[in-house]
Amino acid sequence: MNRPLDLDDIQGNICKGYGRYGFPKARYFFLQFHTPDQGRRCLHQLIPLITNAEPWAADGDSPLKPDVTTNIAFTYAGLEALGLPQRSLNGFPGEFRMGMKSRADILGDNGPSAPEHWDPVWQGEGIHAWVSINGRDMDAVETRFSVIRGIISDTGGVSIRPGHRGADNTLLPWQDASAVYENGKVTPKEHFGYVDGIGNPYFEGCGNDPSRLPGRGKLNKEGQWQPLATGEFILGHVDEAQEYPLAPEPHLLAHNGTFMVYRKLHENVTTFHHYVDSVAQDFDGSRELLMAKFSGRWPDNGAPLTLAPDDEAKAALDQQLASLTEKADKGDACAAAQLKALKDQWIDFTYADDKHGSRCPIGAHIRRANTRASLETQKGAFNTPSALDDRRRLLRRGLPYGGGQKEASDATEQGIIFMCLGASIERQFEFIQQQWINYSNDFHLGNDKDVLIGSNNGRLTDKHIIQTQPKSGKAPFFCSHLPRMVETRGGDYFFIPSITALNMIAQGIIDPT
Amino acid sequence: MANTFGNSYGLTTLCPIINGRHNNTALDKITRRRIQLLKENSASPFARIPNTYFARLFILNDVFFEQGNDVARDHLKSKYLVFTSNFHGDLDTYLSGMWQHAEAEIRHIWQHAVAFNNVQNEKDFIAYIKKCQLTTSLFFNGSTDDTLQDQLKSLYIKQAFTEFALTHQGKTAAQLRAAFNQFIRQVDIHNPVSPAWSPGQETLSDLNPLQQR
Amino acid sequence: MSNVAGKAYGMNVLTPLRWWTALWQKLIFWVVVKTFPYFLKGLLTLSLIHYARWTIINRWSFPRLDKTQPKETLTYSYMLFESNFNGSWDQYIDSFSFAIPGGLDMFWRWNIKYPKSIPLHDFYHYIRFNQIECDHYYNAYPLASANDVKSAKRLTGNLRSFADSLTDNMTDEAFMDAYRQFLADNQHALGSMGDSPLMSTSHQLVQHHKQVNTAHEKQPEEEA
Ligand code: HEM
Repeated sequence: MNRPLDLDDIQGNICKGYGRYGFPKARYFFLQFHTPDQGRRCLHQLIPLITNAEPWAADGDSPLKPDVTTNIAFTYAGLEALGLPQRSLNGFPGEFRMGMKSRADILGDNGPSAPEHWDPVWQGEGIHAWVSINGRDMDAVETRFSVIRGIISDTGGVSIRPGHRGADNTLLPWQDASAVYENGKVTPKEHFGYVDGIGNPYFEGCGNDPSRLPGRGKLNKEGQWQPLATGEFILGHVDEAQEYPLAPEPHLLAHNGTFMVYRKLHENVTTFHHYVDSVAQDFDGSRELLMAKFSGRWPDNGAPLTLAPDDEAKAALDQQLASLTEKADKGDACAAAQLKALKDQWIDFTYADDKHGSRCPIGAHIRRANTRASLETQKGAFNTPSALDDRRRLLRRGLPYGGGQKEASDATEQGIIFMCLGASIERQFEFIQQQWINYSNDFHLGNDKDVLIGSNNGRLTDKHIIQTQPKSGKAPFFCSHLPRMVETRGGDYFFIPSITALNMIAQGIIDPT
Repeated sequence: MANTFGNSYGLTTLCPIINGRHNNTALDKITRRRIQLLKENSASPFARIPNTYFARLFILNDVFFEQGNDVARDHLKSKYLVFTSNFHGDLDTYLSGMWQHAEAEIRHIWQHAVAFNNVQNEKDFIAYIKKCQLTTSLFFNGSTDDTLQDQLKSLYIKQAFTEFALTHQGKTAAQLRAAFNQFIRQVDIHNPVSPAWSPGQETLSDLNPLQQR
Repeated sequence: MSNVAGKAYGMNVLTPLRWWTALWQKLIFWVVVKTFPYFLKGLLTLSLIHYARWTIINRWSFPRLDKTQPKETLTYSYMLFESNFNGSWDQYIDSFSFAIPGGLDMFWRWNIKYPKSIPLHDFYHYIRFNQIECDHYYNAYPLASANDVKSAKRLTGNLRSFADSLTDNMTDEAFMDAYRQFLADNQHALGSMGDSPLMSTSHQLVQHHKQVNTAHEKQPEEEA
């Protein structure tokens, strides 16, 4: 058991998905430090703006929820440019030092996703820091942005790197992101039309409501949910291997920090919808069911397939949901409790009763990305049911970008700014991306890839199997010729220091001696 | 004790290398160079040796010292060529096959092994390797113990049938049946030799002839 | 030199044990063999290994083939571990040591300075420290994992029986039903076949150098 975390020392984006806290708008931009001293001075000015992870409350000791948040992280080149001692730099893990571009062939960033096709901002060197602003609305974001721009121009020697592709092929000096709106209302959807942002790990000390644990933690021998070890997500704390994650020296540099992956993932919406339309014609079920069989969740409300595996079950679920909601809205406490219990099943599930994938296909996106103990195909074979998953979990912190056009197409700008956090990029993100998204040996499915984000190329064998109940007499359904639905448009690996470390970097007093 | 698991065999051998030099190069270095330069995959001599699932060659220079003042420091007096193989069948048959299909490479690789100059023929080679053999304490087979031909045939069938199933989804019963019968004939399903993957094959089989039905 | 051949990684690990504890270790392996698959259930479920073996080399049993060969005088006996598994050590160490820590600890139980499989960094470094690289590594099916080989066997066996069970006088519809059922029964053996994911950027570099070397070797021939 860890003692409580110093949430005021940890950057806020580590513990909070801001989207969930009512911040639907964001701006990300990237700094280049031309001299270490100016870089440090600029950082020094920015630190007071950085949001930490303390819980927000309406009153009392806790800080009030702000209108806008700000966080900062650095590439390896950035830490070098700020003058960190070589000895400290040497302690960073290899993949972080290499950066995302050099890992292209591990990540499946090939063909249209190859680094030479990325947005201009990613071409060449000079991405040193990532700054994020999340706001309740765009005004709040803009206001904070001009404050930061003021600081940057005051200190000099720091520039904002331009070259993010925006609407109509314009190039912008920043990347804006926004929740998707329908009829002027925020939705939890991404641009293919799926509800997103449901599954996220629960770890010890994260400061989240304990009721969020079931379905988000790890499974112990008795099949109960437990929080994952803090060290899976924050450096300087014990991880699932009963040790401290690999981190640079001195301790204060790494402690309470973590790593972040930033990826701009373009969504080919025309390709996606054409593919769904054409396959749906042969598919025994609705278009929505087909979409659900790709992701593992129903697009409209995110209900997992384990709960409603076909159109009939989904209709019944929707009806139940509607009637409970109606009663609950009228003040029926019993119905409200039932509704909550039902909603809990959106996240609190495993694939234990779905070994064959006849409900949620084994190759569905969420079953790949979080295997929920399903790799223990023989009960009791492993140390714990989720032994193979606990070291491969991701804190997702992304938001959609683009959209809002009248006619969205492959050519228009839309997708997800995918960000994920963890103590080891190689062991967590890269492993999932390479072994589970773009390969299937651990699922006994050969070289099949994820439908949504796999590096598929439209070949016959680029396919997804929608499994069937073994003795049902029904054949499994094959989705072949999968096209590239999602293309990488840029990104890199970042280190998110603690507030203490930020101050020390700004002072230039990181000393590993 | 446990060199075998069903019909699969785990061969472990340590072949001492003569402590000497040739043209100013130590014999273990010459040997290492030779095994490092062997062609790989389908061009490896092991691809010609029947029933080899996996094989490897490396030089054992010395044993490791586990560091500390509570551990003895051992050193080997010879360097060893370590040859290990996982194969189907019994040892004598395997080693015969080895000699028959890769005699030239064997002579080249083992040239500087102690007492290898006495090896003149297949029989000598078998006897030699057995002298270098160590008994395995635990052999774990996480795969199959079929003949290599059966394994390679199955892999070919898996590739071909998966593609067949994809290509023929949605066909009418009559079309499907005709195509299936033709498929079974074309992949010659009871013939273990051909068509099949070949040992060490690095790219998928070209199924175009099958596809043009 | 490379420990990689297609989807397989070839690992050799040589570690010392006291000569008498080597006998205990042998006994452990004997029990594992006798009670198969009890102690290997985790490893079988993990399903990453084609073939692996543990060989105890008693300190007196290093092969000596000739009087001219100096006699080994060793304090310790040694254990040679040899494995052919899918994915690299770096990629899959977490899977091995999380799934079956007890099994690993049992198999290296008596080895000098064996740190136990948890915490993991020590275990990782222990294996790496005692690892000997392959100079030549051959894999008969670079495109297949152990799972692929096993599912291919099942599929082919089933396909043979299915094909043999068909009769000329069955209707097309009956065939169709049987075919559907066949697909359903074999849906887990129908993953697409293909190349290994890249095991590391270092390996990628080596592959590249080898290609350059081969191209270079070929050139003089073409000129001649
Ligand atoms: C444009 C790209 C992507 C799209 C459209 C997408 C879509 C989705 C959707 C619809 C869900 C279900 C909602 C939920 O459970 O939160 C989901 C969940 C998830 N996705 Fe993605 N995703 C994308 C990229 C990625 C990437 C790159 C990764 C990691 C390599 C990833 C990992 C996950 C994880 C871990 C979950 C939660 C699974 C669970 O806990 O059950 N996603 N994604």
